[in-house]
Amino acid sequence: MKSEISSVGPQAIGKKGFRRFSETGISTYLMLSPFVLLFIVFSVYPVLASLRLSFMRYNAICNPDQAPCGSVGFGNYATLIFHDDRFHKALSNTVLYVIGAVILGMIASLSLALALQEDTRANRILRVIFFLPSVTSGIAVVLVWGWVFRGDGVGLLNAFLNIFGVAPIEWLATTWMAIPILIFMSIWGGAGFGMILFLAGLNSIPAMYYEAAVIDGAGPRQRFRYITLPLLRPVMVYVGITGIIGAFQIFEGVYLLFPTSVGSIGGLRDMALMIVPYLYDSGFNKFRLGYASAIAWILFAIIFLVSMINLRITRSLEDLK
Amino acid sequence: MSTVLTKSQIKKNEALMERSGSFSNPFEKKSRSSKFGRIPIYLLTFIMIAPYYWMITSSFKSVKELQVVPPSIWPKKWILGNYYDRNFDPLNYQQDVMQGLFQRYPDLKFGFFRFIFNSFFVNISITILTLFIGSLAAYVVSKHRFKGKKAVYLIIIGSMMIPWQVGLIPGFLLMDQFGWLNTFWAYIVPALPKAFIVFFLTQYLTSIPDELVEAARIDGASEFTIYFRIILPLLKPALIAMMIFTAIGEWNNFLWPLIITTSQDMATLPVALANLRNSGAGNIGTQGIIMAASLITSIPTIALYFATQKHFIRGIALSGLK
Repeated sequence: MKSEISSVGPQAIGKKGFRRFSETGISTYLMLSPFVLLFIVFSVYPVLASLRLSFMRYNAICNPDQAPCGSVGFGNYATLIFHDDRFHKALSNTVLYVIGAVILGMIASLSLALALQEDTRANRILRVIFFLPSVTSGIAVVLVWGWVFRGDGVGLLNAFLNIFGVAPIEWLATTWMAIPILIFMSIWGGAGFGMILFLAGLNSIPAMYYEAAVIDGAGPRQRFRYITLPLLRPVMVYVGITGIIGAFQIFEGVYLLFPTSVGSIGGLRDMALMIVPYLYDSGFNKFRLGYASAIAWILFAIIFLVSMINLRITRSLEDLK
Repeated sequence: MSTVLTKSQIKKNEALMERSGSFSNPFEKKSRSSKFGRIPIYLLTFIMIAPYYWMITSSFKSVKELQVVPPSIWPKKWILGNYYDRNFDPLNYQQDVMQGLFQRYPDLKFGFFRFIFNSFFVNISITILTLFIGSLAAYVVSKHRFKGKKAVYLIIIGSMMIPWQVGLIPGFLLMDQFGWLNTFWAYIVPALPKAFIVFFLTQYLTSIPDELVEAARIDGASEFTIYFRIILPLLKPALIAMMIFTAIGEWNNFLWPLIITTSQDMATLPVALANLRNSGAGNIGTQGIIMAASLITSIPTIALYFATQKHFIRGIALSGLK
């Protein structure tokens, strides 16, 4: 008790109620409570409830409070990991997509930043153009791409290829093309955002480093390898981690471009099925709410692991030096 | 102004010229090859602009022109039919005449305007309220001393690592229990506690000296006076950046609005757009209308971006690199 009082500070001694916990009194709690209460109800509770649900059988006819339903232990997870082929497909598709989108996206962003680094009028305009997709409605953009990749002769890509005598191709119904198309859309939409971050990183590198390197006789390639790249590492980590987290959550492109006829998602033979679309499909098309919650937690586990590994690798790289 | 330069000034100028010539960009070569090196950038620029170009031009093409193979690059005739077709008569079917965007949704009082209103209403409410409660919390976390402060802040920051879809199912069930499905409540209230805003604003406030707040406190200012008179003005640049991010992010939100709305009148623009497309899926004639709706959906955020470009870029750099 004694230590409690002394840790709060001299003003608190002899005062009652809120003053014991905060020297600014009740106003601290008045100002904090709107955020914290909403945060508990709409951010913390759903996450914990989803963990609980992920161990339950909960679907359209079966609610956890009824007798034969309720807890299934790790049943949902076991089914997902060992038996659910659609989930395996969703997982492998997502991993392929994330690898492609993040690596190619990073290369695209960095190249753009380097190409548009100089502060000229033309470059400023180009930067705005490349950044535009980041502020455009994803749905609107996906709908235009849907037209570009239409399978008939009205499709833009097909019309363009027709000039060279190529017969119309069913882009969105060719199984191996789904992931590359989604990766392309992701780079188109996201490269400008990464570019802005890399530009900020490039501008923070002091010019004298380059001057010193030139005096020492370093060519442009060496300057890039030994000055630009190492000093951009923090930005690369940030772009990488946020890119991975964002890419794992892909939904809109799959939902709109790859529907299936039976009120499901994923396209022909689930060629474009991903984790979040599968979560949506399980939860809101098939009403398997417990199962969908288990998918959500697997998504979280994967993103958490990948971010941790990413941080670890960067840290150990830094320790090397 | 004198035109005579001292030796040291000349030296300085030379150094500056040299820096701008060969140091500012390690890749830049002042030769012909660098001019040709720009060609890929211009090709890419074409790919970046093409979808916007297509969105705009197609929304002004007639149903007949949309069906032509190969598609026309430039509209033969600019028509407004995809927005409002004067020839359309619900009792008299004519080929190649379709309801324009603003003639659709006869069940809704203001037709397509209803979705525009929904989007704006949801967006403005969320942006204002989320910044208000977020900045209050950030002020308390950064400038007040109270028990459990570190734990509160840690939980808020930690929650940013959790993808929001994790709480999707219980969030939906919660809305159902509250009876909030198909209401504005379901749009606005769950979107209010944004951990990133508290984190960002707290970071920003820690760089402001505590003495400012303490001096006001000694002068007898109440905590709310301090918040409104000192903290809010200081936070202005950070608040503007967060305002733009929130507004654009919420405007383009799709998955949450999709699951909480089943009745047509409560859809926001992205959901209305997706429904429009699903209803007329393969028909090329409806593409003009879909492009018109896409254009209307895209314009507000792009306009906001252009209006606030400077703050925007600074905000990204701040939030990304701090």
